[in-house]
This record gives sequence, structure tokens and C-alpha cells, in this order.
Amino acid sequence: MMTTMEKPKVGLKYVAAIRNEFGLAVQEESWQAPDQVTVTVDLNTMPAIVESLYYHHGGWLSLVAANDERPLNGNFALYYVLSVEGNEQEQAEGRENCYMVIRSLVPPLQPEFPSVAPRVPAAIWYEREIRDMFGIQPIGMPDERRLVLPDDWPADLYPLRKDTMDYRYRPEPTTEKETYEFINVEGEGIVEIPLGPLHMTSDEPGHFRLFVDGEHIVDADYRLFYVHRGMEKLAETRMTYDQVPFLADRICGICGYAHNVAYSTSVERALGIEVPARADYIRTILLEVERLHSHLLNLGLACHFIGFDTGFMQFFRVREKTMKMAELLTGTRKTYGMNLIGGVRRDILKEQRVQVLQMCKELREEVNVLVAILLDTPNIVQRTSTIGRLEPQVARDYSPVGPTLRGSGFARDMRVIHPYVAYDRVPWKTYYKESCDVLGRTLIRAEEFFESLSMVERCLVEMPEGPILVEGFNYKPYAFALGYVEAPRGEDIHWSMLGDNQKLYRWRCRASSYNNWPPLRYMLRNNTISDAPLIVASIDPCYSCTERVTVVDVRKKKATIIPYKELERYGRERKNSPLK
Amino acid sequence: MPMLKLIKEVLRVGNATVPYPFVKVEVSPGFRGKPEYDPTQCIACAACVIACPPNALNMETDLESGTRTWSIFYGRCVYCARCEEVCPTGAIKLGSDFELASFSREDLTIRADFRLASCTRCGAYFASAKSLDHVLALLDQAGLPPESAEDRKALVRMCPECRRKVDLPRVKPIVQEAFDGRL
Repeated sequence: MMTTMEKPKVGLKYVAAIRNEFGLAVQEESWQAPDQVTVTVDLNTMPAIVESLYYHHGGWLSLVAANDERPLNGNFALYYVLSVEGNEQEQAEGRENCYMVIRSLVPPLQPEFPSVAPRVPAAIWYEREIRDMFGIQPIGMPDERRLVLPDDWPADLYPLRKDTMDYRYRPEPTTEKETYEFINVEGEGIVEIPLGPLHMTSDEPGHFRLFVDGEHIVDADYRLFYVHRGMEKLAETRMTYDQVPFLADRICGICGYAHNVAYSTSVERALGIEVPARADYIRTILLEVERLHSHLLNLGLACHFIGFDTGFMQFFRVREKTMKMAELLTGTRKTYGMNLIGGVRRDILKEQRVQVLQMCKELREEVNVLVAILLDTPNIVQRTSTIGRLEPQVARDYSPVGPTLRGSGFARDMRVIHPYVAYDRVPWKTYYKESCDVLGRTLIRAEEFFESLSMVERCLVEMPEGPILVEGFNYKPYAFALGYVEAPRGEDIHWSMLGDNQKLYRWRCRASSYNNWPPLRYMLRNNTISDAPLIVASIDPCYSCTERVTVVDVRKKKATIIPYKELERYGRERKNSPLK
Repeated sequence: MPMLKLIKEVLRVGNATVPYPFVKVEVSPGFRGKPEYDPTQCIACAACVIACPPNALNMETDLESGTRTWSIFYGRCVYCARCEEVCPTGAIKLGSDFELASFSREDLTIRADFRLASCTRCGAYFASAKSLDHVLALLDQAGLPPESAEDRKALVRMCPECRRKVDLPRVKPIVQEAFDGRL
């Protein structure tokens, strides 16, 4: 049986193309998997190389990670991960999808690098985060604001550096100085009520600022990361590499298992572990079960935002069945805890299989009825068609993922482009739409729901016999690789480097919504504020509730802070505008 | 038309609310509830303590009193069942109890004390008495010839330091032969 490294390498032509174009700037290449290569390049040429792969070879920016490799080779390292899929000519010659990681070294005494964001807009958030967490300054970056760290975080304390802090150091949680300038608006009848962002009525904190002209949104800005938990640092210090799957499960309350699989596969790839086939099928089944409950949640929220609360309740009632399905298969409704490095922990027995197949049948019937009712509701099309357009060019520039991207005409799904677990052995269909609007994204999720049901049924029936866990493998310090999964919201991708102490040296985990937030402001433009909650919900973000929204009327030069519930109510009822 | 379909569906479904906590909630077989501990089976080997991802399990050794205390704090437990997986004697298993709310943190901690065994040669404490007994029982079951079995068991009753010293005469010629007299 061929081991993973004996399979032929995929993507050699892209490496050859950049060697051709950039000559000696391309220094070394090393392959972590047949379709994953890390190419070390000269730091100053790196932006041009990334741009060339992105726009001239059909590349999409999946991840950018920085790593403090000063203990290893004396430098910081940057890793720009691109999923390179070929330009038209290369695709015609033969489709090859390869993860190319462009690596460059940053000297420790001059921690700066030329920013890629002016050339490839998708890199903007990643570079801001690198600057916050490592103190490596991107020169020429268009947005200098902090992304992750709060305003009163000490200036030269960089959390992810290896020598950053004595753990006994506890900076003051707040400062006396008011660092945030509120717009003070004078005028008759203008009331400003400061709330939050951490307020007891909100689920997840985030601050949105909509710039409006009358009712139309001219631009939007938002600030997130109020509940940044420092998981990447946690994984390096508080637990061993084989306990991290349990942490990865808790990254997200909806796509936790996707993160778990992404992490586990990244370490398995780094160590060259062949996961048994039966384990692959079990992972596939659980990933699809997760997709079921996530898409039902989004469909329910879509109902809620257009005012159809009965539909919302019915979708959530039916969703209970998918939660029960998860409980049957894993012992818990969420945070499945089913992976270890090398496979899964529980098998699927005949009794469970019979019950789950029965539930799939019931789900198909009930959700069919509900989706038909939803699509027949008079105002659904009016409220969602042509709303929140993500133009294909904006999508190409910002690399969003998942249904958000597929709604704009790109048939990109990691299960097809970079197959993992059993997706290359189970036939299924990718759904995409050309309409670029909220309706398109919602319809994609509905169609994917039924496709997931079919996949669960097929996998349950076709699962091969055999072991479910590899026990006994060689641990290699400093081995690294990528793990990736098409979570319900899109591509989750993790980059892990193992340390020499049974712990991770570096873990960069990028959730799918991270790539979907930057293009959101383009999707909000030219829509009315009553559509804003629906548009935000259509990217199905990992936070869909914001605590307050500031609405700035640029023409009248007036700012009003309205509670989110008000905005939501206005979105549903469409009368008694909170701006009046 | 859609309204009619909707009303039909709503009427068909009826009331979906479960009257919990006035009725018991049935959980699936294999449900992950809180870990149930059986101190009579436990040998205080600390495998579960090493495996626990959120550090809910703890082991503290008190050399003065010659005891080792195992404890679990349910406030940290994430119901991952790694403790159950690594336990060599089945002393801890996840049950189906999920109702763990309590008015005091102390209610969420369970402790068990175990005696430590002392080395037959130097007298230092080096392992829990029950884990020692467990290893001796395993050696009995291993079916070694009686002469070497007794030697092995005598070694096991000593601390690692003494074990190394006492076993040296047996090990030395083996190592020398392996290195072909170069040592």
C-alpha cells in the first residue's frame, strides 16, 4: 500500500513557474504531503511572489501565520499559505490543486516585512494580527489599527513571541485614560446611550458602525475580537499535542468538530500517520452531521430576521433531531471529542446506524416541508434577492470561503479541491449560485443540507471494516503541516508545528469566518439599514449578534447609537425607524 | 397557500416543549455524563491525571504521612472520557449524570487517599501500595518460571534507585556482550 509520501507530488508546475519568474529569490522547497509544499523565498520578493501565485496561477489566500523561530534558526518566519488551483491555461493542461506555503525569514533585530495587503487585499487582517501578536511590522500596510489586542494593551508586549512574558506578570485590565474618541453630536432630540460592547443581553460582543445617507448604507466598519481567548498560546503551553484536539473542539460552538478534524489531520500529516479507512468514514459522517445542525440553524435565523418567527421555531424544533443524532453517535450534543491523533475513539455500531438512518429519513421529510414553506413565504424573495451582493471581483480579491463564496459563482469547496477524510471516496455534488445575494447563499445551505443527509446515509452503509485508531507512531519534533476542512461556513485551516517537548511549538488555527468578515463591508454597501442584520446573518458568522450598532448619517452629520434589538425589530417590522 | 401548509404543520407537531425538570430526561446509551469513581478499583497510578486535558484530576503525594491523594474537581471536567480510556483497572467511568449544579465549590471535589509503599531495601516511599500489588499480580499472571518470577517480584518491591543497583550484576554481562567487549 502506498504511504502518503509515495504518492506523486501535485503542484510541481506551480513551483517551476515561480522559479522561472523569480529565479534565485526562490530558495528552498520542502514537501509535507504530496499536495503541500513549503517554499522558502527572499523576504523582499515575497509580496510579488504571493501576488503572482494569487492572481496569475489561480491562487486563493487561505492563511498567513507568523512563527517565532528564533530558538530554531535565529529568525522570525512568515508563512503565506495559498491554495493554488491554476490559471485557465494550467487548468486546461490538467487540474492540480496544491497548497503552497510561501515562507520567508524576518531578521530578529529588524522585525519588519513588506506588506502584501496592497497587492492582495485578502492579506489585510492576517498582517494586522501578526503585527499585534508578534510585533513584526508590515511596511506599507493600508490599515494600521490594532485588530486583536485591546486599545489599552501595553505597547511592546507581544503575546505570541516565545520570550514574551513572565506568566506572573499581570498588567492592569484597564487604564484611567479614555483612549476611544466618541463622536459627540450636538442637536435637538439626539440621545446617546452608551452600551457595552460587553452587555448582559448580548450573546457575543462585536461593534458595528454603519455609515448611512438617509436609509442607505454607504460604508461599514466593525470591530471584533472582544472575546479573544488566546487559544494558540494555550495550546503551546498548557497541554500536550495530543490533548489539543479537545481544545480544538471548543473553538466554535457550531463547527467545533471541523476544527478538531483540521487539527488532527494537520498533525497526522506532519507525522506521516495513515489514518485507517474506517476512521475516515466515521469522521466524514460526523462532519456531515455537524453541517446538518449548522445549516438548520442558519435557515432558522434567516426566518427570524425576515420576521417569520414561526419558521424559526419550527426549524429549531427539527434541528433537535440532528442534535439527538450527534448524541447517539458521540455521547454528547456538541463538542464531540471523538478524535485522537491517529483516528477516532468510538466506533459506530449497528444499533446506532439503524437509528441514525431512521432519523435521516424523518429529517428529510420534515425539512422538505419547512423549506417549501419558507420559499413560498411572500416576502422571502423580496427581502433576500439582490440584497447584500458580494461582487465576484470583491470575492476574488478577499478570498472568502464557504457558501458566502459559492453564492458568487465560484464552485470552491475544500471537499472537492483538497479532499480529506473520505470525501474522495463518496460521490456528492457542490452547490453554487451566480446570484451573489443573500437568497443565493441561503438556498445553497438548504441544498447542502439535503446533500449532507445523503452523504451520512451513504457513508453509514459503505463504511469499510477495520481498526479505527492507529496506536504507535513516531513523534518528530519541529515537523509541521496544514490541516483543512470544509466546515459549514467554509474552509477551516490549521497550521501546526510540533515542539520538542510533546507540546505544540506553534498552532495557527484560522476559522472560516475570519476570511468572510473583511468583504462584509462591501456586501453592506448600497443596502438599507433594515437589511443589515440579514446580510450579516447570510455570511453565517461565528458571531451573528452584535450588541449595539452605531449609525452615522454622513449627510446630516448625525450619529445615533441604537441597541441591536431595535435594529432587529426594524428589520422585521420595517416601520418606526429608530433613526427618526 | 403557504400559510395553510404552515398551520397544518404547526398543528401536526403540537407542543414540542419537554416538561423538564418535572420529568426525567432520557439520554442516549453512551452519553457522556460525569465521571464516576470507584476507589476500590483505583490503584493510584495517575494515568488519568496525566491524560486529563483540562487538569480536572490531580494527584498529591505527602511523604510525611506516606499517603497519596487522588482528587477530581468537576468544575473543570469537560467529559472527554480520556480518564476512562487510560485507566488500567476501570476505576473511573463516565456515567449518565449531567445535573451537577451546586451551591458550593467543595461539593464538586472528590478525594481519595492511598497508602504509599516503602522500598524493602532503603525504606523510601516510591509508589502506591495498590499499584505495587497490581504489578505483582500481573507478574503472577504472566506465567514466568517460579525462580525468575520471585527475583522479578523482589525487584518490583524496591524503589527505582535500589532496583538499578541490585539488578546490575545480572544486567552487566548482557550489556557487555551486546557491545562486544568494547566496554
